[in-house]
Amino acid sequence: MNPEAETLARRDFLKRSGAGFGLLGLAQLLNDDELLAQPASTQSSPTPLSAPMAPRAAHFPGKAKRIIWLFMNGGQSQVDTWDYKPELAKREGQSLEGFDRFTGFFANAVGGLMPSPFTFSPRGQSGKMVSEIFPHLGAHVDKMAFIHSGYSESNNHSPALFMMNSGLPRMGFPCVGSWVTYGLGSESQNLPSFIVMSDPKDRGLPKGHASNWSAGFLPGIFQGTWLRPKGDPISHLNRLPNVSAERQRSQLDFLESINNAFSKNYPNETDLNARIRSYELAYGMQIAAPDALNIQSEPESIQSLYGLDQEHCRHFGVQCLMARRLVERGVRFIQIYSGGNENQRSWDGHNDIHGNHQGFARETDQPIAGLLQDLEQRGMLEETLVVCAGEFGRLPIAQKAKKPGRDHNPHCFTAWLAGGGTKGGVTYGASDEFGFRAIENKVHINDFHATLLHCMGMDHEKLTYRHNGRDFRLTDVGGSVIREILA
Amino acid sequence: MKAVLASLCLWAISSLWGLTLDAADPRTGSAKALWSIQPFQTSLREAPLASQWDRNQVDSFIRGKLEQIGVIPQKQAEDRILLRRLYLDLLGLLPSPEETNDYLFDASPHRYARKVEELLASPAYGERWARHWLDVVRFAESSGFEHDSDRPHAYPYRDFVIQAFNLNLPFNTFLEWQLAGDQLLAENPLAKAATGFLGAGVFPTQLTEKEFESARYDELDDMVSTTGTAMLALSIGCARCHDHKFDPIPTEDYYRLAATFTKTIRTEVELTSDLGQNMTAMISTDGGKPMKHAADGRGYPHFFPSTFILKRGDVNKKGKKAEPGFLSMLKHESNTSHLTAGSRSQLAKWITDPDRGGGRLAARVIVNRLWQHHFGTGLVSTPNDFGTQGSKPTHPRLLDWLAKELIQRGWNLKSIQRTIVTSATYRQSSRPVPETRKKDPDNTLLWRFPARRLEAEAIRDSMLGASGMLDSTPFGPGSLDPNMPRRSIYFFVKRSQLTPFLLLFDFPEPMVSIGKRASTSIAPQGLTLMNSPTIRMYAKRLVARARSEVASGQAGEIIQRIYNLTYNRPATPTELTRCQQFLEQQAKSSETTPHEAFHDLAHGLLMSNEFLYQR
Repeated sequence: MNPEAETLARRDFLKRSGAGFGLLGLAQLLNDDELLAQPASTQSSPTPLSAPMAPRAAHFPGKAKRIIWLFMNGGQSQVDTWDYKPELAKREGQSLEGFDRFTGFFANAVGGLMPSPFTFSPRGQSGKMVSEIFPHLGAHVDKMAFIHSGYSESNNHSPALFMMNSGLPRMGFPCVGSWVTYGLGSESQNLPSFIVMSDPKDRGLPKGHASNWSAGFLPGIFQGTWLRPKGDPISHLNRLPNVSAERQRSQLDFLESINNAFSKNYPNETDLNARIRSYELAYGMQIAAPDALNIQSEPESIQSLYGLDQEHCRHFGVQCLMARRLVERGVRFIQIYSGGNENQRSWDGHNDIHGNHQGFARETDQPIAGLLQDLEQRGMLEETLVVCAGEFGRLPIAQKAKKPGRDHNPHCFTAWLAGGGTKGGVTYGASDEFGFRAIENKVHINDFHATLLHCMGMDHEKLTYRHNGRDFRLTDVGGSVIREILA
Repeated sequence: MKAVLASLCLWAISSLWGLTLDAADPRTGSAKALWSIQPFQTSLREAPLASQWDRNQVDSFIRGKLEQIGVIPQKQAEDRILLRRLYLDLLGLLPSPEETNDYLFDASPHRYARKVEELLASPAYGERWARHWLDVVRFAESSGFEHDSDRPHAYPYRDFVIQAFNLNLPFNTFLEWQLAGDQLLAENPLAKAATGFLGAGVFPTQLTEKEFESARYDELDDMVSTTGTAMLALSIGCARCHDHKFDPIPTEDYYRLAATFTKTIRTEVELTSDLGQNMTAMISTDGGKPMKHAADGRGYPHFFPSTFILKRGDVNKKGKKAEPGFLSMLKHESNTSHLTAGSRSQLAKWITDPDRGGGRLAARVIVNRLWQHHFGTGLVSTPNDFGTQGSKPTHPRLLDWLAKELIQRGWNLKSIQRTIVTSATYRQSSRPVPETRKKDPDNTLLWRFPARRLEAEAIRDSMLGASGMLDSTPFGPGSLDPNMPRRSIYFFVKRSQLTPFLLLFDFPEPMVSIGKRASTSIAPQGLTLMNSPTIRMYAKRLVARARSEVASGQAGEIIQRIYNLTYNRPATPTELTRCQQFLEQQAKSSETTPHEAFHDLAHGLLMSNEFLYQR
């Protein structure tokens, strides 16, 4: 146990916790100098050792303080959403020259070029061409920076999901949210710092499940907390039946008295003290977390802004509204998955791209638009980076079926960012005339991640963690910040 | 899929200029600088003079370093504390009140030594120490990736590890069987089950044609990297795309090792255990009938006939064919090797050969792991990295002495552990001494026994033990039921569904080798300990047990029994009073019966630091 003179009377602590800022999980990593090798703080302070969730200074002042990532699970089709390709209509049915039939998942269902079933029209001051499936989001294009030249290294869901979440197509590496909280700590004392919400409509989890919010080899406290879509969102958040707050309080007082007696022989042991405090934090969390998630306390106007009054998008609206309430309370990183597992349960429109994308757009269009508007009207958008991206794009050719769909496309996808120090109404990079391949200013996922970290005030080359003899980074050996989209 | 994979170990060079200048050059094999592959130091005594404090050779090394900073080590811990420490360390379980009493009333001067023997011979010992090894070998029972399909016949490997510890299988044999038990002793079911080591890594269940070959190279990488990290504490995986930046491992060496596994695949065989039980076991063999795979319909070949040296790890940039071989950094020129590379069995023999292969390094690595689990931190604090980027040993001579002893004693792990736990160093009190703390605040030199939180399994197993619920049935298929009453090592390790309680207390994700777990104290742990119905059930059963074991039924005696079951000591008079006050206070509330007040009390003790820490 590291001897750090740090004792804090409970009453004093409770007073401080009322201020709403402090430490979430006071972890003590015993004698583990190498575990937290180089968090973002430029000071050589050993603080992270005793309090890995304490807020830490960034490498430089970042405009974003937090990230909300709307993950278009299954792979959103760029040519049916944001990347307008009129050429597809002109060349409808023609085969795509030089196409390798193993590009997607189904090598035996390769069709010809297929125009988008949706019409596009210019929106906003910037005149961005937007698919008709986004009537609400179209109104916000002047807040968004579009990247049309993203590409992945895998044509398969889970490696591509891992790639998008951890920078590598393999399993077991820390995710963006883990890196961000490792680097910056948390501003919330009573809430988890990295929160993930998945599809609440029984359509499953993204492929690879919890590995998509894994801390990999970082200490476990940096893993994402998955809010269960049903029942208690956080495990054991509620007291056992028949246990009142008063009774639990009295039990914790008893516990504290025996712990304090034990500590007399071990004064100034940070770890023992941290555990004593962890019960107080947990006690506080029982109140703070349900409060943060209680969307009923929002005025009706706000609820309808997020589409809560409409059956088709209510579930996603609830999650977006929770996200706003959580970031307001200092949560650092939130990821919301649109769609469940694969095929028709997510944006994975192998069949009937028309019906599939129309459906998922209806679920998300108004809630995301509501979130952007709400963040803006509260003056929070400047410090909140909103990210919209999935694991890969889709092919501009048809996947043959009764109602044609589109297969996976690792060579090109579109992502957009809003707020948090990004420019609005801009487009970066371009795909070829069919939206098949990124060709201009190609954006590797390492570049994408480097940009997110930059917005948060972190240099992706300096945010490292030593594990089994290597200094690992989110961006591996690559990554350059896309400065063109920064405000 | 472009193989960026191992490019991940190219470093942010710009920030590391200072280090690169000092690094060994892999091409010239200047392994001279690397301490961990040097011959054992011959001058082994740290402190020339014996002292009354010393109990065995370990102590002279520890005391020697302490004397250098003018510090006197701690006296022996109290009997009860020491006994509890020993049980938790060797078994991961608490001593029962009866075991504690028997020990305290044993007047023999040999009682401690006898207790050590008893515990080392307990079947629970293997269940404790196997779990440490399972972390190192990324053991799990599902494939990971998109479907995380179960590997229902992976458990024989786990049982092999438990048995190996209990049977005190020589450690060199233990390693050899894991690499090539199927070839070395094809008739021995344990040796075969041991090869489950190679196939325990993740593998995609869904594969596109584009991924067939790269997935196979990833699989080879998993075998090479895990072998390197687990057995030699070398990050060989770093050399997949380029020569290792810091350690003398050229890319060719990496592919030489990978080529040894070219045809190694998972297969299932029928085995008959020593106990005469028939079981299906997932093992690794060269060729053989591969396990069914979802991409079989697409023509997935499971392995490719040759392994090539890849440029930057990219399967589309094949260089020449790789021939099986060993690490050149561990070749000893003075000994012209009779070991020839080729098969896994030859690799196995090489890796444990102290004179012509990796044996000395392997010995250093394992004694360090043993030390770490006894003291919380290894003599080398980076147990999985004995390369130039890892930590240097705090007591290099002690490490060498232990490693040399291990080999001389026939790779006998229990013998080394016996030496460690009977030392005065191990038997010290954990109480801090303010003056000493100033000189060595982190206790690096071990002037006291380092107190620390129990690992996830020990917490849970001790709760089960105290409440009388523990089912000690060994071996066999694991369970996913969080309420199963067996020891925690018998949870089925499903990668996407790790047992929440264990995960919360820092059970590592079994993706890659983990040499050292984190040890956190976070609010979600508090929530679970406070509000989990399972923990509450343990508390209730603990009270019921205490009641049934106390003849008088008086509250005071029940409290004493609960203290003895959880803390292996009676409550002090002050504590007894405090407990009785608490019971009265809880019972005042209309919602609480006197029974429930007792549950609150026992529950409180299970959440307390004295219960959750080893000292």
